[in-house]
Amino acid sequence: MTSRREFFVRAASVTAALGVSGNAFAQDQPQKASGPMPMSSTVPSVRLPPKPNAKPLLTTDERDALEHRIHCQCGCTLDIFTCRTTDFTCQVSPAMHRDVIALVEGGYNAQEIIDAFVGTFGETARMAPKRSNVFAWFTPGAAVIVGAGALALLLKRWKSERTALAPVVLTGIDATPEELARLDAVLKGDDRP
Amino acid sequence: MTLIGELSLWVALLMAAWSTTVSYAGGATRRIDLVNSGIRGLYATFAMILLAAIGLWTALLTRDFSLEYVAGHISAAMPSIYVFTAFWSGQAGSMLFWALILSMYGTIAIATSRKRNEELAPWATGTISAILVFFIATICFKANPFVRLPFTPIDGRGMNPQLQNPGMALHPPNLYLGYVATAIPFAFAIAALFAKRLDAEWLGVVRRWALLSWFFLTIGIVLGMWWAYVELGWGGYWAWDPVENSSFLPWLTTTAFLHSIMIQEKRGMLRKWNVVLVVVSFLLSVFGTFITRSGVIESVHSFAQSPVGPWFATFFFLATGLSVYLVGVRLKDLEAKAELESMVSREAAFLYNNLLLCGIAFAVLWGTVFPIISEWAGKPKITVGPPFFNTVNVPLGLLLLALTGVGPLIAWRRASVSNLKRQFATPAIAGLVVAIGLLAAGMRDAYALVAYYLCGFVAATIFQEFYKGIRARQAIHGESVFTGFVRLVGRNRRRYGGYIVHAGIVMLFAAFAGLAFRTEHDISLRAGESYSVKDPYGHQWKFVSQGVSYFNRPDRDVLAVGLEAFRDGKRVGIIPTEKRQYVDTQRQPLFNPITEVGIRSNAKLDTYVVLAGYIRDKDVAELRVTFNPLVVWVWIGGFLMMIGGLVVMWPQAERRKPQGGYAAVMPASRSDMEVAVPA
Repeated sequence: MTSRREFFVRAASVTAALGVSGNAFAQDQPQKASGPMPMSSTVPSVRLPPKPNAKPLLTTDERDALEHRIHCQCGCTLDIFTCRTTDFTCQVSPAMHRDVIALVEGGYNAQEIIDAFVGTFGETARMAPKRSNVFAWFTPGAAVIVGAGALALLLKRWKSERTALAPVVLTGIDATPEELARLDAVLKGDDRP
Repeated sequence: MTLIGELSLWVALLMAAWSTTVSYAGGATRRIDLVNSGIRGLYATFAMILLAAIGLWTALLTRDFSLEYVAGHISAAMPSIYVFTAFWSGQAGSMLFWALILSMYGTIAIATSRKRNEELAPWATGTISAILVFFIATICFKANPFVRLPFTPIDGRGMNPQLQNPGMALHPPNLYLGYVATAIPFAFAIAALFAKRLDAEWLGVVRRWALLSWFFLTIGIVLGMWWAYVELGWGGYWAWDPVENSSFLPWLTTTAFLHSIMIQEKRGMLRKWNVVLVVVSFLLSVFGTFITRSGVIESVHSFAQSPVGPWFATFFFLATGLSVYLVGVRLKDLEAKAELESMVSREAAFLYNNLLLCGIAFAVLWGTVFPIISEWAGKPKITVGPPFFNTVNVPLGLLLLALTGVGPLIAWRRASVSNLKRQFATPAIAGLVVAIGLLAAGMRDAYALVAYYLCGFVAATIFQEFYKGIRARQAIHGESVFTGFVRLVGRNRRRYGGYIVHAGIVMLFAAFAGLAFRTEHDISLRAGESYSVKDPYGHQWKFVSQGVSYFNRPDRDVLAVGLEAFRDGKRVGIIPTEKRQYVDTQRQPLFNPITEVGIRSNAKLDTYVVLAGYIRDKDVAELRVTFNPLVVWVWIGGFLMMIGGLVVMWPQAERRKPQGGYAAVMPASRSDMEVAVPA
């Protein structure tokens, strides 16, 4: 029977064990991205001195929302909130969470806290490129606009080609009026797939 | 059997190489003996790959731990169903699975269409075989599942517990069936370009296989969403993970193709565009496999990192280069007489639909590869996560939803004011009623209101179409509503199957819009303590911790907590959640501890509980409680899309009625014209 203490020791050591297990047995690990999990001591702390007469500017819900905007640095693809409330073994997201709490209690607002994390970890601390990164944010929109422009030109050309077509004078058609009427009826009923 | 399997893999490589060479030679020289030999080579390749697959399955089911793949992916105690699925759970096996499906698809496609497409058959066979050469060579040289260990271990490592889920038996095979099916339209497109047979003939076979691809991709994606939701514990079903995105990309372009092909069938337009969509869908499938297999982009799925990445990259660029070259040199042959009478017509609506689908595909691709582009440009690596994808794609998605309602009802050629009024007045009012009702109920999220307005609008257009059709049948044939419905769908499966798919899409969008009201609560509870909170509908919930328990099972150690849930004071039940540490026979830990999510689901709301941690000294369980509105409609919508896809694919519908596209081909003579006009 394994004791509870052993279970936790085991859980904490699993990642390291995985890191040294033989490559021959390397297998799928869908929950984490790659490599052994960095211990909290290997991730720099994000701390700033509290502001004078500091009061928290964010509610708990706002703080949780903020954590959704900061990328956990454990090697996963998740934000701090999701990682710390999902991954039992991650020691990085709880440490980052503590940093967020300290910064909130130090009177910093959401943008200042994100800036502090970016200052420590670089742009990878954000869950999305910053808004001023025009290249990242506007390229998809620009592509759609260019596509729409091209489509508009194409439609215009097709319409003008149709207009430019001289009316075809049907002479000498070897068809009876009844056959032509039937053909006309079929074409008129062409509004169904 | 294992040895036979391994040997047959090498024979398959030779057969595929032979088939490629003689098929292309046969196509170029029009020598029927070479063409037949190439086709037989493809059949032989399929037989050989099937033998190799049987060999691997035999090794897995007999627990032959002398094979590295077997020892690395299963254990003696694993249930047989997961031993069977271990075939595609690892790199080498999944590559073999790819090759197996492709050779099977290729065999079926060529066997069923060679007589109707005699000129295309050798080129298509050669292209399918060339793709097979790549896959089999990659398996033989870089990811061979038959590699033996220097010793035979007593037991294998087993499968990651997260993969030991029914989803494992369904999600990957469906995705692969979808991915690989894009290769057949690609092969026929390349064949049509080679053979300069770019008329409507190749459309029949291409459409069928594109539909099959769309069908399996849809199932695979929805199953993947469900699997992620119940297994990973993120609290959601879509995280814009690079691997999720890579399955979504060919789905988007294939969906675009299935709409734009209707314009070619009906009006003979968009020939170039349709070829491009077919080619792009295949390239995106290869790209998806490359992303999954190379680990080039950081992802939760990057477990599959391996040396096959460069092989895939090379193949991807070769296939892209060949496609661009062929489309380039055949541009003139792809010219079609294009006429558009009005920008307010069904043709135009489908073009707008294509623009949006491709726009979304580009946005998803852009977000997926942007971290690499950023690094290549010497900039710091940037994370592109859900905030980016949601911001960019939600407006485009809503426009697309609007077109889902407009496209099928608007008239071909030119929509008159009376047509627009007749078709859209009631749906527009229905959408308004929904939106005003929600506004009155207190909904204030602008995107959600627009989404629900559009859901109401599109749902009403679909209902209206069925209603009119059934009423007409009742009036003419005196049928009951049920019989009328069945016969209405049966007589025009393509049209009404499409409506069923659209109904599924409406459900999906309604569920996605529900995410705007999702709430998460991070709570810490000792045994007996409670936490009260309101859900998004305003109901008061109370969760009482039953305390943390710890117990062993033969294959795992479990830490569990149950929350007794009350809604508005009424007991709902106990929602259990666990952390599991799987162990081997020596009770040594295997893999990371995993989450077992507690979910209480109904039509309106999912209550989703995850055990996030446990503070031993204080005996405190840390939990995340998430209220996810309308999640169940994602699964129902996905199921409806699958049903609609099946209805559309049912072959009888196409046999009964010639496609409009063939009628749209300009008749060469009056006698042809007479054939096209029904009596």
